[in-house]
Amino acid sequence: MGSYLVRRLLAVLPVMAVVATVVFLLIHLIPGDPVSVMLGPDATPTQIEATRQALGLNRPLWEQLVGFYGRVLTGDLGQSYFLDRPVSRALWERAEPTLVLMLCALGVAVAIGVPSGTIAAAHRGSAWDRGLMTVSLLGVCIPGFWLSLNFIYFFAVRLGWLPAAGYVSIFSDPVAALRYMVLPAFSLGFSQSALIARISRSCMLEVLQQDYIRTARAKGLSQGTVTWVHAFRNALVPVVTVIGITTAVLIGGAVVTEIVFNIPGLGRLIISAILRRDYPVVQGVVLVIAASYVLINLGVDILYALIDPRIRYD
Amino acid sequence: MRRSVPARLTWLVMIAILVVAGGVALAADTPRKGGVIRVGNLGEPPSLDAHWTTASITETLTNHIYEGLYSLDNSNKPIPMLAEGVTISKDGLVYTFKLRQGVKFHNGKEMTSEDVVASLARWGKQSVYGKALFAQVADWKALDKYTVEMKLKEKSAIVLISLAVPNNFGAIYPKEIAEKSPPEQKVTEYIGTGPFKLAEWKPDQYIRMVRFDEYKSRNEKPNGYGGGKTAYVDEIRWIPVPEVATRVAQVETGELDFADDLNLDAYDRLKTNASARAIVSKPYYWLVAVMNKKEGLMTNQKLRQAWQAAIDIEPIMKNVAGGKPEFYRMDSSLAPVEIAAWHTNLQGLPWNEHNRDKAKRLLQEAGYKKEPIRFMTTQEYKWMYDFALLTKQQLEDIGFAIDLQVVDWATLVKRRNNPKEYDVFTTGIGAFYDPTHAVFLTPSWPGWTTDEDIQRIQSELARETDPKKRMALWEQQTRQFYEKVPVIRYGDLFGLRAARTTVRDFNEKTERVRFYNVWLEK
Repeated sequence: MGSYLVRRLLAVLPVMAVVATVVFLLIHLIPGDPVSVMLGPDATPTQIEATRQALGLNRPLWEQLVGFYGRVLTGDLGQSYFLDRPVSRALWERAEPTLVLMLCALGVAVAIGVPSGTIAAAHRGSAWDRGLMTVSLLGVCIPGFWLSLNFIYFFAVRLGWLPAAGYVSIFSDPVAALRYMVLPAFSLGFSQSALIARISRSCMLEVLQQDYIRTARAKGLSQGTVTWVHAFRNALVPVVTVIGITTAVLIGGAVVTEIVFNIPGLGRLIISAILRRDYPVVQGVVLVIAASYVLINLGVDILYALIDPRIRYD
Repeated sequence: MRRSVPARLTWLVMIAILVVAGGVALAADTPRKGGVIRVGNLGEPPSLDAHWTTASITETLTNHIYEGLYSLDNSNKPIPMLAEGVTISKDGLVYTFKLRQGVKFHNGKEMTSEDVVASLARWGKQSVYGKALFAQVADWKALDKYTVEMKLKEKSAIVLISLAVPNNFGAIYPKEIAEKSPPEQKVTEYIGTGPFKLAEWKPDQYIRMVRFDEYKSRNEKPNGYGGGKTAYVDEIRWIPVPEVATRVAQVETGELDFADDLNLDAYDRLKTNASARAIVSKPYYWLVAVMNKKEGLMTNQKLRQAWQAAIDIEPIMKNVAGGKPEFYRMDSSLAPVEIAAWHTNLQGLPWNEHNRDKAKRLLQEAGYKKEPIRFMTTQEYKWMYDFALLTKQQLEDIGFAIDLQVVDWATLVKRRNNPKEYDVFTTGIGAFYDPTHAVFLTPSWPGWTTDEDIQRIQSELARETDPKKRMALWEQQTRQFYEKVPVIRYGDLFGLRAARTTVRDFNEKTERVRFYNVWLEK
């Protein structure tokens, strides 16, 4: 297991190198210019040139790329043009909202997805099955922003139960923080729960066909014991994979939710950075998201071995 | 005749009721101190250095922190702010400014002439307006602690107005800060003399400005952007809310007290809400198609005239304004009605002619052979995209070939600096307070208006100091504009803001929002 971990961690390096190069080239090769955005609509081309010079944006691209590699290797992600602070600090400030949102949404997704998939499989063909699967189909189909805006309209504007948008740090006021998290966590978690429910159902169905389940039933065990004790853990491996992917998606992909609910997280940061062409920030966020994908995948692989003792890494 | 006792009693009771009710009404209208006003705006400022950028969000924010020597009154004319006043020599070449005494910076230091000299010298190297002014300055120095002197190379009409414009403005910083950052680099400390001081800036979360207790207000009444300023609210909290639907919802729920730059379709919904109020903001922009006069097809004046003759502006404006007549205005004056000093009422201008025959004739005279015209716009500002799309339809009807290029804003503002990359682009022209500040008439701004006659009148406008003669020149310039067609002027579009009804004494007449003199009802 130890040597496996070392090998996997070493394999992260070439992946990150490729990601760094691709994101650098992509963001620099699309048209647009951070200085023209920052200096505002009435700035003249001469002013813009002078500021580009001051920021080093006029140097040849390869020179900027080499500089970027050099900085990344020393752990320095550069300085944001727009935010007047190091990229690492900008990332750090936005890590908390994104992580809190991710955990809450993941909690909602798993709490809805796994039980409903399992129940649907256990009662295959019943009204339960059809009902739950229809709801999960809706979850896949409904666009996130539409659901979010409707949540805001009904629960905040019409009923006034919850705040419409915003973010309060969980460390400063946990109760208020949760109130602000309810709507975004549900609108994001609901759509993510759909995939988890569908995978849970099909894995469960497969496991329920197995001989040892028939044996368990033949022993006279109750339906509940059969489903939750004998079948559930065996159906978990693919479900954990999906949850792992969902986690990674939530870190980088909660863009729409963060914008609609005005949560100052990584998703909002990357969108505004792209619109402003704040190159160092875009590169930094993408690198962090890529790294978290790789590490979450590694974590999932390790979890397999814990869930299913038959899986070993040597 | 003597009144009976019961009648007199009734009178007494009625008077008593009136007095009490009047007192209550008076109390409800008396400004009170306290509270936090939460303002939703659409994003982060690129900087809080007023000298550095022309971005409107920076203009709005920084005008609460800093002040300049002059400001604009409610008719958009210059009035003294940090200056006590000015004496101008007979030949018009020497301006001697007396500064107000005892004005403190947020760091406790008194503002004196050395701060003014250092700040405006920096502003004169970076700001669009500062550069234009300092191109005419021969000498700029402090005479004593409270007096500064500006010597000009030639007579100028734009000294005071340039010091008064709120955008990219001549904010006075402490000398140490002004001298620390070279003009092309943003300052990193934000110290001014304004009624609010910066308390905290958390990008994407909020910018907090708190009352500056030692603020020394002018004695006059509030007047436009200037006059007396009182910080009634304890704090202004600027909250960036990029999603416009969320901004509206948060005003409706009371999570925000004020929201700027809303979509016009929120107007009807706001009108039905008892605790929120819709505010039509004007002036906002007149829509403009800017022609590239340096290279390519649109260097052909006849082709530009054909475009101007072809378009039918009213349906375009109506559509852009979502069918609501409250949100657009048909006007050919280059300065909006709200800038009364420069608004013109000229008859017979070839504006909004929608004359197909004339347009077709001009196309023929231009020798135009359906070469595609690259017309660049963006969906980031919906109104730009809408008017570009409708223009394309109208122009293609009479024989133009329009290649509509929809890009994001960052691409548009980059490409428009390169004459090889486009023929026409969309943007909006906001308020300008002097004809010499109209960017679309300058040779340096994208589109490059280098026409000799236009430039000659612009330089005369910069030199001429007699207001009547200046107005005559401006009218002459307007006629030149419609003949030479450096850009195409469409109609005026208005913006939408929303405030909770508890927000009191907000000045609706200024182009950008100001929250000094605004107070919150309990």
